[in-house]
Formats: sequence, C-alpha cells, structure tokens
Amino acid sequence: MALIELKGIERTYHVGGTDVHALAGVDLEIEKGAYVAIMGASGSGKSTLMNILGCLDSPSRGSYVLGGEGVHGLTDDALATVRNRQIGFVFQSFNLLPRVDAVNNTALPLLYAGVTRSERRRRAVAALQRVGLGERLDHQPNELSGGQRQRLAIARALINEPSILLADEPTGNLDSVTSKEIMEIFDELSRAGTTVILVTHETDIADHARRRIRLLDGKIIADES
Amino acid sequence: MNFREALLTSLSNISAHKLRSALTMLGIVFGVGAVIAMLSIGAGAEQEALQTISRLGLHNVVVRAKELKEDEAREIRTKSLGVSMRDCEAIREAVPGVEIVAPKADVDPWQVIAAGASADAQVYGVAAEHAGLVDLNVAEGRFLDQRDVLDHAQVAVIGENVRRSLFGHGAALGQPMKVNDVWLEVIGVLDGGAGGEPDSFQGVAISSAADAIYLPVSTVMRKFDREALDSPLSEIIVRLEEAESGRRTAAAIQGLLTHLHGGADDYELVVPEALLAESQRTQRMFNIVMGCIAGISLLVGGIGIMNIMLASVLERTREIGVRRAVGAKRKDILFQFIVESFALSALGGLAGILMGVAIARAVAASAGWTTLVTPWSIALATGVAMTVGLASGIYPAKRASELDPIESLRYE
Repeated sequence: MALIELKGIERTYHVGGTDVHALAGVDLEIEKGAYVAIMGASGSGKSTLMNILGCLDSPSRGSYVLGGEGVHGLTDDALATVRNRQIGFVFQSFNLLPRVDAVNNTALPLLYAGVTRSERRRRAVAALQRVGLGERLDHQPNELSGGQRQRLAIARALINEPSILLADEPTGNLDSVTSKEIMEIFDELSRAGTTVILVTHETDIADHARRRIRLLDGKIIADES
Repeated sequence: MNFREALLTSLSNISAHKLRSALTMLGIVFGVGAVIAMLSIGAGAEQEALQTISRLGLHNVVVRAKELKEDEAREIRTKSLGVSMRDCEAIREAVPGVEIVAPKADVDPWQVIAAGASADAQVYGVAAEHAGLVDLNVAEGRFLDQRDVLDHAQVAVIGENVRRSLFGHGAALGQPMKVNDVWLEVIGVLDGGAGGEPDSFQGVAISSAADAIYLPVSTVMRKFDREALDSPLSEIIVRLEEAESGRRTAAAIQGLLTHLHGGADDYELVVPEALLAESQRTQRMFNIVMGCIAGISLLVGGIGIMNIMLASVLERTREIGVRRAVGAKRKDILFQFIVESFALSALGGLAGILMGVAIARAVAASAGWTTLVTPWSIALATGVAMTVGLASGIYPAKRASELDPIESLRYE
C-alpha cells in the first residue's frame, strides 16, 4: 500500500461570491521512500496540493489516506497531531523563530509532542549535526547565512522522523551555490530512505527528484519518472 | 505544552522585548504599587487611631465636665453643681451593666516642687481603680489604693517625666514633694512608656501619663482649692461589664445625668467604642475611594497589556503559523499567549509590590505617618493584577489561536 493515497481531491475557495477550483480532481499515490517534485506555474494549484498533503488544509471533496489512515475531514486538533508526527515542513522563507537559538528552533516540534527538555536538546543537537550545523547550536537565525538557515529548517523538519518531508520552493531565496548544497542534503536524505516531496517551479530543482508531477489548473497533467 | 514550557517561552519573549515589556508592565506596576501604598497608609492610620482610642479604654464610657465660659457657668450652676461625686454614686446605683465607676478631679497646679527642683505637670485626683481603667503601669512602688482614698492620704504617684524633673537620678520613693500648698509623699513612679504623648482624637483630649501626678481623689477634693464655678470632678470613668454595649450604657447615663443636672448642658459623654466605630467608618470610606482610584489604574494597566498583546499577536503571526505547522494545537497557542500576558502582569505585580512597600516606607519616613503593609493588601493587589493579566490576555490569545495556519505562514 502506498504511503500517500489521494482520490478525487477537490479544493474550492469562495472568493468574492464566486467559486475558485484550486484543485479539480487530483488522484495521486506516492510510495514510501519516493523522491517527488510537484511542478507547475503559479496558480496551478501546487501550493494548495502541498497544503493538503501537509495536512494544513482539508480537501473540499475526495479522500486522503496517509500511512493507512484517512486524514480528510479530521478535526483541527487531530490534523495538528498528524502534522506533528508525520510531516516535516521546509519553507521558501525558512520560517524560523526569531531570537530563538538553533537548538530550540530545531526542537520546536518536539515541544508540542510532549518530549522532555533534555531529550529535546539531545535530538536537536543530533539533527543539527546531521545537516552540518553542529558548530552553530547556540546561534540565532539572524546570525546565520541563508543556506545555514535552510539547513536549520531542514533539521527542524527532520527531528520528528516524519513520514514525509515537504519542501516548498526550498531554494527560492538562495543563490545557486547554496541551492546546490541544500539540494544535496535532500538527495542525501532521499538516499537514506526519507520520503521527500519538493514543490517547485524550477526544472533544475525538480530534476533532483526521481518522479515529477506537473499540475495545471488544478489537475495533474503529467506524471513521469 | 505544559505550564512550565509556556512560561519559559513567555519569559524569553518578554526578555527579547525588554523596553516594550517594561512599558507594558508600567500600568500594573503603578496600580499594584498604589493599592499597596494606600492600603498601608490606611492600615497605619487605623492602627494609630485604635491605639489612641484604646488609651481611653475601649470598654469605658467617660463623663467629662465641659469647659464653660464664666457667664454661662454662672447661669448653669443655678441648676446644676457640675460633674460630682453625687453623679458617681447615682451611676453606680442606677445604671445596669456597670463594673467600676471612678471619679477624676483636676488640680490647677501653680507649683510642683521637691528638694529644690520644680516640674511642669498635670495633677489629677483619681480613684484606686484608675490605673486599671486606663492601663497605667507602675515601675516603682505602688499605685494608689482604697485605703489612700478613704484616708485622704497625702501621697502621690508620679509620671516618668515628673520624676526626672524633680529627683533627677536620685531615689523618688518615699521622698516628700509639694503640689501647691500640700505636702505629699511619693509612693509610686509610673512606667516610662505609660500612656504615650498627650494627644487628641477627633476633638477629645487624651492625656499623657508621663507628665502626670496622681493623688487620691478624696485628697484633691479636701485639700486643694478649686474655682467656685468649676465642676467638682473633671471626669467620671465608667468601666462596663464585659457583655455591655457602650452605646446603650451611654444612653442610660445620659438619661440619669440629664435628670440630675436639671437639663444643664455642663458635661459630655465620650464613648471610645463609638469613636472607634466612627474612625473605622472614615477608614472604610478612605479605603473605598483609594481602592477605586487604584482599581482604575489597574484597569488601565490591563488595557495596556491587552493592547500590546494584540500588537504582539499581529507581529508574531508568522511565528504562530510556524508553531501551528509543526503541530501546535489551537489551545497550545491560546495557552501560550494567556501565559505570556499572565507573566507580564505577574512581573508587573511583583515590581508593584516592591514599589508599594517602598512608597509606604518613604511616606512613613517623610511624613511621619504610621504605615502598615498588611499581607492581605499584597494578596489583594497581586490577585487583582493577575486577574487583570489573565482577563486582558484572553481576547488577544483567542485571536492568535483562531489564525489560519496557511494564512499565517504567508503573512508578511
């Protein structure tokens, strides 16, 4: 059974009295350990798809089974728990907490998982070492370079050993050299067995993935591996 | 997220914005400080009033001869001879619930001398029970007894200051002294602290024992001259039985004396119990008015906190989005912001307590008032501050918890 099973996913927004179909019937299966890129122009529905995959949003219609459990129609709190346990987010703009050091930024998901302070620190240090930030444990985000910030964000996303690593334009704010370094981390994580989903509009980023899904007007128009 | 985690998060947020947090707390600091300072001033005043009044004897009723102008006196003395031993007897006989009736007569001293030294003193003729009635303590020798009164004994009990003026460091007991033309033997010296300074409370003079000389009342009445129109006695102190109410007895005495004095208005009744009640009523008014002012200050402080928390929610929208994305539930966010607001006001409250105590000290030192910081005033002010903090945190926290995570993550 696939890790992710989407069937007939629709997502409709009501904007100024009219309905906008951001997703208009998406069927998708993603296996455990897959390395997938979701591509599309702005407005194609890729962000909406990412939000639904990341359990930040619920579909208007259709079913979403994650790791054998239906997560469509779950309550807000239940979705928060799913995000906490199963999903690691990496954002284009890093989304780190300002004035909070690297260890505590990394450990944030564990705070909501009810992990003790010492255990949080231990795991955060391990995650930071894994992304090459072992020397920057006490640095705050504003003391780090763009690439280091994104590594920090990746460490945070990994700390709960999530089923899926969801990265939304992870290199969008980085220069080409740093982008390459970051993509190497994703490649490495994928080789180690993590399920990685990249959302991007850049083909050279998408080329790192083994499977590329192209969206247009809320529908999948291509799915190649 | 448990309380400890939320508190640590809040404290790091508060310390990350030190100036803003300090300004936010200021309202609470002043509110709590004002409550504590005002209540301490009030409590001090109340304690002082209580001490002053208890020198009259809280369980006493005092009949006091009025000072009269000469023409008034001439008129009144045709109907009434003033406060006298006859009144004493009558009260003892006719008023129920009375334990002790003790007369007191004043002497107008034109000289107080002993062994070549002289002193300024108030001279009173009193009954043997007097010491017990107004809490006089004898340091040396003894107080007057029934025998002295019966025998018209020429003996005196003197206050600390009088003793120092007359005898310096020498022995006083058994020494002769002279008040006006009468020789007396010193049989007792009062405790230095007895009675405190001369004072008055709401227009009622309260004498100090340090400058006093006490003689048997009978001696005073027999051996000393007094003005023809003066009342024979200056006071009658009436000690009530334990269960008796001062006001009711006062009414009974009033009725009796009106009759005895032929309706003449030449005496007044002082009821310490009523004075105390009066003082407590005034105190309560003071507390209510000051409490309202301090309450308004706390309210304004609370609004300040709410204002900053709302701004903070807006400023930290992205942070809220991130927290929600990594698994914070709505109630975690709600809790975090309420705890932060609570922590702000608790810190403000703490600073306010220190400020209130400092103000109370400063007032005590500069104005010479008694101030008393009571534990319950601290508890009250802190309780109110924390309630204000919680209450003003609820709305911003609710706003924060209802933010949509997707919108929050995109918020610029």
